[in-house]
Amino acid sequence: MAANFWTSSHYKQLLDPDKVDVVQRLDKEKGLTLEEFRLIKIHMSLQIWKLALYVKVRQRVIATAITYLRRVYTRKSMTEYDPRLVAPTCLYLASKVEESTVQARLLVFYIKKMYAGASSSDEKYRFEIKDILEMEMKVLEALDYYLVVFHPYRPLLQLLQDAGITDLTQVAWGLVNDTYKMDLILIHPPHMIALACIYIACVLKDKDLTTWFEELRVDMNIVKNISMEILEFFEYCRLDSKGNILIPEDRINAALNKVAAKP
Amino acid sequence: MGDGRSGGGGVNRPAWLQQYDLVGKIGEGTYGLVFLARTSLRKCCIAIKKFKQSKEGDGVSPTAIREIMLLRETCHENVVKLVNVHINHVDMSLYLAFDYAEYDLYEIIRHHREKLNHSINQYTVKSLLWQLLNGLNYLHSNWIIHRDLKPSNILVMGDGEEHGVVKIADFGLARIYQAPLKPLYENGVVVTIWYRAPELLLGAKHYTSAVDMWAVGCIFAELLTLKPLFQGVEAKATPNPFQLDQLDKIFKVLGHPTPERWPTLVNLPYWQNDQQHIQGHKYDNHGLHNFVTVPQKSPAYDLLSKMLEYDPRKRITAAQALEHEYFRMDPLPGRNALVPSQPGEKIVNYPARPVDTTADFEGTVAVQPSQPVSSGNAASGNIAAASVAPSRSMPRAMHVVGMQRMPNTGMSTFNVAPQAGIGAPSSGNIPIPRGAAVQAHQQQLRRKDPSMGMQNPGYPQQKRRF
Repeated sequence: MAANFWTSSHYKQLLDPDKVDVVQRLDKEKGLTLEEFRLIKIHMSLQIWKLALYVKVRQRVIATAITYLRRVYTRKSMTEYDPRLVAPTCLYLASKVEESTVQARLLVFYIKKMYAGASSSDEKYRFEIKDILEMEMKVLEALDYYLVVFHPYRPLLQLLQDAGITDLTQVAWGLVNDTYKMDLILIHPPHMIALACIYIACVLKDKDLTTWFEELRVDMNIVKNISMEILEFFEYCRLDSKGNILIPEDRINAALNKVAAKP
Repeated sequence: MGDGRSGGGGVNRPAWLQQYDLVGKIGEGTYGLVFLARTSLRKCCIAIKKFKQSKEGDGVSPTAIREIMLLRETCHENVVKLVNVHINHVDMSLYLAFDYAEYDLYEIIRHHREKLNHSINQYTVKSLLWQLLNGLNYLHSNWIIHRDLKPSNILVMGDGEEHGVVKIADFGLARIYQAPLKPLYENGVVVTIWYRAPELLLGAKHYTSAVDMWAVGCIFAELLTLKPLFQGVEAKATPNPFQLDQLDKIFKVLGHPTPERWPTLVNLPYWQNDQQHIQGHKYDNHGLHNFVTVPQKSPAYDLLSKMLEYDPRKRITAAQALEHEYFRMDPLPGRNALVPSQPGEKIVNYPARPVDTTADFEGTVAVQPSQPVSSGNAASGNIAAASVAPSRSMPRAMHVVGMQRMPNTGMSTFNVAPQAGIGAPSSGNIPIPRGAAVQAHQQQLRRKDPSMGMQNPGYPQQKRRF
């Protein structure tokens, strides 16, 4: 339900890991590899983040938008659902759901601003209001109208408080942000993701929380597995000096061109 | 999918609409239209709410989004069931399909007031109230505030397996209030003013599920007396939630609120700046007992006064109310609120919902292009009740021109399909003493009942089929 994760549609919609990172048939036919599929999802998550900074919405809205984006591509192909349009549309829909509506025209304005003066490939990011509104309905349908999403942020703060390590808040919060570059939110309950982030934060900051973790009634193996996945992801991505993911633009464009609708 | 729509209307409908046989239009609001339809397959009745694309170019209206979002998560016997969502990509309209409920408290109360001239029997009042609270307790325990409870949003199922079961409807203004992104107070005004809690009227910026309980108190009183308890005149011009006349009506019945009884009163904006001198005006403490028909020492009166407690923090909660003594004494509340407990008691035949059978799914008959449509994004208070029921922006007698009464016999011939959660309500224990035999008997009585014809002698005989 709306406030109880265990009775929510989010919980019921959680997917098996092998159901998540699967390239849709249509995309496969166009030659899209799993690697490229992942890259596009990471790239689009970052685009949502960037656009959100312009329109100034809360973290939660961004997280919900990225969750929608990732959910869409467990069901729909990038060939039919252009990621460059789906990404801002997810932010648009999420802003309505999270009660901080961003007007479509404002979104379109900032998209244009974001890509102004950029290379010709960036023109493909430009859309009109009408495109967003049409895609909004398609996204709603693709999500099967399940819109309530739970995030690790709230459990994270509660757990940090409980463990008495609120000094780790910033590190752990940043780690939670990073998990949205992956599909974890589609697979694991949010509090488990929060615990994994705390676990990593403890390792990074040399804190021993073994007893606290033991007293929690959770399967530590799952927490450790999620942590491993996050760390593996960090290794997989090359980070720049500010900790941002670097994806070569030409690789992204090559991948996006494969699924671009027009030949 | 299934957008193959030609401009025609009734005949060339989108594929997904063909699973429904349209009966007619049953309601209309700023958000769009409500239709009654039958599923071709199961022949059960469905209410289809059609949302228009907002003119402002802002896509699916937030009202529709909220309703879909919340009803996709909820599952409770006393909460309306969203059975389907459809999108027509051609004209960008959105359709929500609900299990159809034949009655609502507005019509039930009106029938008693205007046609029968006698009060609703105790069993029915108590059962309606219990089920309303049961549904509300479910919502509140899941951190959902309805915010627009009023008689027309409280539906009651017609003949069928769920006969007499209450369904809370219209979640267009509902909110999840766990960790709100911004204060729940918005520019828009919330809740029809007659049922609006005093803290809202005084400008509270943060509020709680207690606002729903105030509305329940008002509805309880209305079920007892057949008239709205606080009928304030809405000051439409002012964009703020301050409604002097509504407060005046409340104070006249309940007396002046005092900081002693309601400590946080002094923090409320409109109490604080008091430009209208609401602090100084003296009200005789008339007492609620002069306005309702129940004895001052009865459990019913006690429960009512606890719902109409000024201080939202002291106001009784839905969970507490369900445990109240009132519900433990005879007559005990039951699942079928419309079938009286006493075997000999008279069964009331409520009129079926008026259906405009001349409208089609496009609403071509009903909706004039010139109709003023306030945007879906407009201040939420201006959105007329977006319920499955015909909506009224003000619960006053409305007579929609051109609406016809569906003959009763036609309605009772098909059954509302049984659905999930037919067992006893999740919390509490309603005794369900009435068996199927009684129901069958009751249906028979309904068919014989001539009251429909008498009430509305002029209704046309023909029924258009679609």
